[in-house]
Amino acid sequence: MMRIRSREIVPRLFITILILIVLEVISSAFLPLFGISKYMIPFNVLIVLFLGFKLENPYLALMIVVVQYFHSIFTIEGWEMGTISGVLICIIISYLRDILHFTSSIVTILVTQMFQFIWFVILSSLLYLKLGSFNYIVEKFWRFIPESIVISLVAPFFFSVLDKVWGVREEGLMGDRN
Amino acid sequence: MNLSVNEGSRLKSIVNVLVLSLALWGVSKRDVNVKETTIFENIMMDTLAPLQRGVTFTHNKIASFFDHYLFNVNASKINVSLVSQVSELEKEVFNLEQIKDENKRLKDLLEFGEEVSYKKILAQIVAWDSSSDFRVIRINKGSSHGIRLQSTVITANGVVGYIYRLTEHFADILTILDPSNRVDVIVNRTRSNGILEGFAGGKCMMKYVTRTDPVRLNDLVLTSGLGNIYPKGLKVGIVSRVERESYGITQNIVVSPTVDFSKLEEVAVLVSDGNQKKMNEWQALDEADGDDDK
Repeated sequence: MMRIRSREIVPRLFITILILIVLEVISSAFLPLFGISKYMIPFNVLIVLFLGFKLENPYLALMIVVVQYFHSIFTIEGWEMGTISGVLICIIISYLRDILHFTSSIVTILVTQMFQFIWFVILSSLLYLKLGSFNYIVEKFWRFIPESIVISLVAPFFFSVLDKVWGVREEGLMGDRN
Repeated sequence: MNLSVNEGSRLKSIVNVLVLSLALWGVSKRDVNVKETTIFENIMMDTLAPLQRGVTFTHNKIASFFDHYLFNVNASKINVSLVSQVSELEKEVFNLEQIKDENKRLKDLLEFGEEVSYKKILAQIVAWDSSSDFRVIRINKGSSHGIRLQSTVITANGVVGYIYRLTEHFADILTILDPSNRVDVIVNRTRSNGILEGFAGGKCMMKYVTRTDPVRLNDLVLTSGLGNIYPKGLKVGIVSRVERESYGITQNIVVSPTVDFSKLEEVAVLVSDGNQKKMNEWQALDEADGDDDK
C-alpha cells in the first residue's frame, strides 16, 4: 500500500487514462472485428482494482470517478454504476488491508478474481433494480466468468506496468520475492 | 498537502459519501430513452472515435485484400449465377412496382393518411460498446450529416435499433438486442401485439402477448408503428420459441432478429422531420409528469 501525495496524482492519473483509452479502443473496435462482440474485457475494472489495492489517498473516490468517466465515453453504461461498485470495493479493501498481501502472481490472480466477483454482485444488484429481470443477471454471470478470468490472468503483468506509472515500489513482480 | 491520519481518514469518508451520493443520484436520473451529451463528451467522443474508426478501417482493408484478391478463385462461376439471378429479380421488381402503384392508388382512394417520408443516411460501424452489458454500436455519422436523436436505424434485413447518443461526427445506436431497448411489435400472421426486449444469446423476448393468440414458430415479427420511434412495418425477427403455460394471461415469445449483428458493417439511418416533433412530444410528456409530481 502506497501513500501518494496529492500533487503527484494528476500526471500519473493522466498516463493511466491514456493506457485505459488504448485498451478501450482495442476492446471496442479490435475484438469485435474478429467476431468477439459478446465478450468485452472490462479494463476499467482492472484499473479501479489497482487503485484500490495499491494506493492510499483521501481522493481515491474522485480518481475512480475520472476512470469511470473516461470509460463511459466508450460505453453507454455511464460512470455512475461503476463508480458505486468501485468506491464500495475500495471501502471493503480498506478493511481487509492487513490481510491482503500480493506475495506472488497466483495470489494476485486469486485476489483480483475475488474482488471482481464482489464487483459483479454490486453491479448486478444495481442492474436488477433498473431492469427487474433476473434472466439478464444469469446471462450476465455466464459472460462474467470468461471475462473475469482473462482480467485476473493479465492482472499480474498489468499491475506491474501500473506499479511503474504510480511509482509503487515492491520486491519483484507484484511482491514476488526472488 | 500533509494531513494527519485522522484528518485524512475523515476527508476520505466525506469524499466517499459525496461521490456515492452523486453516483446514486446520477443512476436514478439516468434517461433510458436518449443520452444528451455534454460539450466535453462531444469533444472526447469526436476525438477518440477516429481511433476506433482507424482500427476498423485498417482491419477492413486487410480483410478486403484477402477476400477480393487472394481468395477470389470462383468469381467467374459466381458471376454467371448472379447474372441469371439479377434477371429473375428484375422481373420480380417490375411486378412489385405494379403492386406498389396499385397500393398507392387504393390508399389515395381511401384517404388512408399521409405517409412520412424518410431520408436514408448510410453509415459504417466503427466500434461496439466496451461493456458487454450493453449492446450498442458506434457509427461514423453524426448530427453534421443530418442524423438526429431517436432516428431509426435499419439494414436491408430489418431493424437494428435507434440513435441513443449523438455527437457532431459520430452516433451510438442502442440495438434491439439491448434489454433497455423496448420495441412495440406485432406478429405479421396473427397481428398479435407485444413489446420486444433484448434477451440472452443475441435473441429478443416478445412480452405481453395474450396466451390465446396462436403464434407459431417462424412467424414474422414487424414493428407496429406505436411507441413514437420506429416506423410501422419494418422487419424485426422470426419467432424461434414460444413459452406458453396452461395458466396465466400472457405468453413469452423468443424472437431471433432478422439482422445478423455479428456480421454488421453498414447501416442506414432513417431521418424525417418527425424526429424533432417526437422529441418535442417526449419533452412535453416529461414536463407534464413533472407538473403532476408537484
